[in-house]
Amino acid sequence: MRILIVEDDATLAGQIADNLKDAGYTYDIAPDGEEGHFLGDTEPYDAVILDLGLPIMDGASILKKWRADGREMPVLILTARDSWTDKVEGLDAGADDYLAKPFVVEELLARLRALIRRSAGQTSPVLEVGPVRLDTRNSRVSVDGAPVKLTAQEFKLLSYLMHHEGKVISRTELTEHIYDQDFDKDSNTIEVFVNRIRKKLGVPVIQTVRGLGYRLEWGGEAA
Amino acid sequence: MTQSGGDINVTANREQPGSISRFLASLAGRLLLSAILWSSVALVVGGVVLSFAFRSYVLSDVDKRLEILLDTLVGISEVSPEGEFRLNQSLADQRFMTPYSGWYWQVSEAGQEPERSRSLWDFALDPGHQNRNFSLRYSITPGPDGQTLRQAEHDIILPEAERVFHYQVATDMAEVQAAIDRFNWLLFSALALILVTVSLALVLQVSYGLRPLRQIKRDLSDVRAGRSAHLRSADEGKMPEDLRPLVDEINGLINQNDKLVDRARTHVGNLAHALKTPLSIIQNEVDGKSDKGAELIARQAKDIRVHVDHHLKRARIAGGGTGPGLEVKTRVEKLVKAVKVIAGDKKLQTNIECLEGVSFDGEKQDFDELLGNIIENAAKWAESKLSINIIRLEEGLRRPMLEIKVEDDGPGVPDEEREALFNRGTRLDEQVPGTGLGLAIVRDIADMYGGSVALSTAGLGGLAVTILLPAK
Repeated sequence: MRILIVEDDATLAGQIADNLKDAGYTYDIAPDGEEGHFLGDTEPYDAVILDLGLPIMDGASILKKWRADGREMPVLILTARDSWTDKVEGLDAGADDYLAKPFVVEELLARLRALIRRSAGQTSPVLEVGPVRLDTRNSRVSVDGAPVKLTAQEFKLLSYLMHHEGKVISRTELTEHIYDQDFDKDSNTIEVFVNRIRKKLGVPVIQTVRGLGYRLEWGGEAA
Repeated sequence: MTQSGGDINVTANREQPGSISRFLASLAGRLLLSAILWSSVALVVGGVVLSFAFRSYVLSDVDKRLEILLDTLVGISEVSPEGEFRLNQSLADQRFMTPYSGWYWQVSEAGQEPERSRSLWDFALDPGHQNRNFSLRYSITPGPDGQTLRQAEHDIILPEAERVFHYQVATDMAEVQAAIDRFNWLLFSALALILVTVSLALVLQVSYGLRPLRQIKRDLSDVRAGRSAHLRSADEGKMPEDLRPLVDEINGLINQNDKLVDRARTHVGNLAHALKTPLSIIQNEVDGKSDKGAELIARQAKDIRVHVDHHLKRARIAGGGTGPGLEVKTRVEKLVKAVKVIAGDKKLQTNIECLEGVSFDGEKQDFDELLGNIIENAAKWAESKLSINIIRLEEGLRRPMLEIKVEDDGPGVPDEEREALFNRGTRLDEQVPGTGLGLAIVRDIADMYGGSVALSTAGLGGLAVTILLPAK
């Protein structure tokens, strides 16, 4: 899952980033409105954490532009402006959630998880496909109740596939969503990760769709 | 901002003690008093002058007639060869024949019995022989039958005899005086009538003339009571030219005051907002760390947050109704939507009942803050249902009000704990997040608008919050 943090305070952005990283997310940081808008416009993010008071271009304008241009990724407004008028206006501009500063990181992460889940059409914080179970709240994966230990990259990949259960996901899309923008994108590494995950899970939930990418699906033991 | 505007008295309030002296001290009182005083003085002086002029005119008329009579009398006088004074023809006038008729003549010579008109009967005018005087003189002298006479007298030396005769012609003043009195009576009653009429006209004039001032007073109390943002008289073009600068100045002052308040509010807001990002960083940095220093910092950061929130929210309250008002229904819907988003996964069934076009007379941000807090609170505690009912009350009220009732189906709050909810920092829960400032700020806002907040048990089973706010 790849998150865009648009926040002009470098310390706070760094703090959020550290916590996102610990929770198994990939992130990019935009320190001003212009870059924030550009990144959100060009990169495929799974969610955006958007400050309202930003240099060059304010958060509400960015959000309106994204929405006008058809960018539908979930956006969480994280701002010091906590009046109800600000909240109503932020949500009217197209935000999906609103969190006022000062905030507790756990709450930010919980809301972010819920946002991503909802935007993927999932209602429960626990994703289950056949015997595979992924708890978004604590990043734990288990198969038939037995915990499976995954590396950070493996978890990101599996999590993305599980959020989009049944859909064909290309290697490029996977790369884009699990690596930040500075990563040297080599889709071959994806294949390596997928193979490792298959081995660790021990159940056939990830299918290769030739020439297109991967699909996560449970077709029963026989498949 | 309070509801009861102080009275700036332009006109007298007759119900109160000392009202006369207060009225006289008022602008209208001064204008009326001085105008009535001056017109009285002018009328009295005019009356006296007129009366004097009339009297002079009447007297000079009498004097002229007396002079002619005197001349006639002299003309028909002669001294007989025997040296006896006589009239060579009679003054053919009945008035000199009838006793005490009011018309008299008398010719006297020192040491002789005077010749008198028959009308004098047994009375003699005082000839005053002490000093000779050959010029014509007029005087007032007592006459017969208690009459007061105007007399003309003259010393004459008749050509036939070298003797001095004293001629006197007199007429009763009663008739003349009656005419003068009649005239004076007429004159002064006419003047009194004029004074009364003028005074009434002055009262009307002052009240009409001061009407724009009373309008300004009403406008000002409207501004104070929050029914208007500025002096409305300026808009309608009804203000007289000479008061317009005053009205414009007052409006300018109100505007400047608004701007100052706005600026102060913005500054407080900016300060509070600027503090929040560093606060977030501090909180996140010490979060989860268990050493003593970290705990202390966490606690202090929390305190700072409470202060910042409190003052920011207070500073945000704008208060005072203005211009267009706020359409309530769509606003409530937006607030409910926002509350639902922020409440996250909780499934809430909300029911909003409100007529279209019902408006709140005040600032959007105040309405948002007040209702946002209440709806959020209700959503936090509700099991699954939330109901908002808004009606407009008009009857028997000084101004139309909105009654907003927010109910939930949560656990509710026991009677004895309800009042405590309004205290700053009070939280009956320690599990559900919140700073406990919500209801305190709600009451502050309602108070600012002269409204109220009351808690009761909801029909749905939980807490019902009933808010009264001014309607547009």
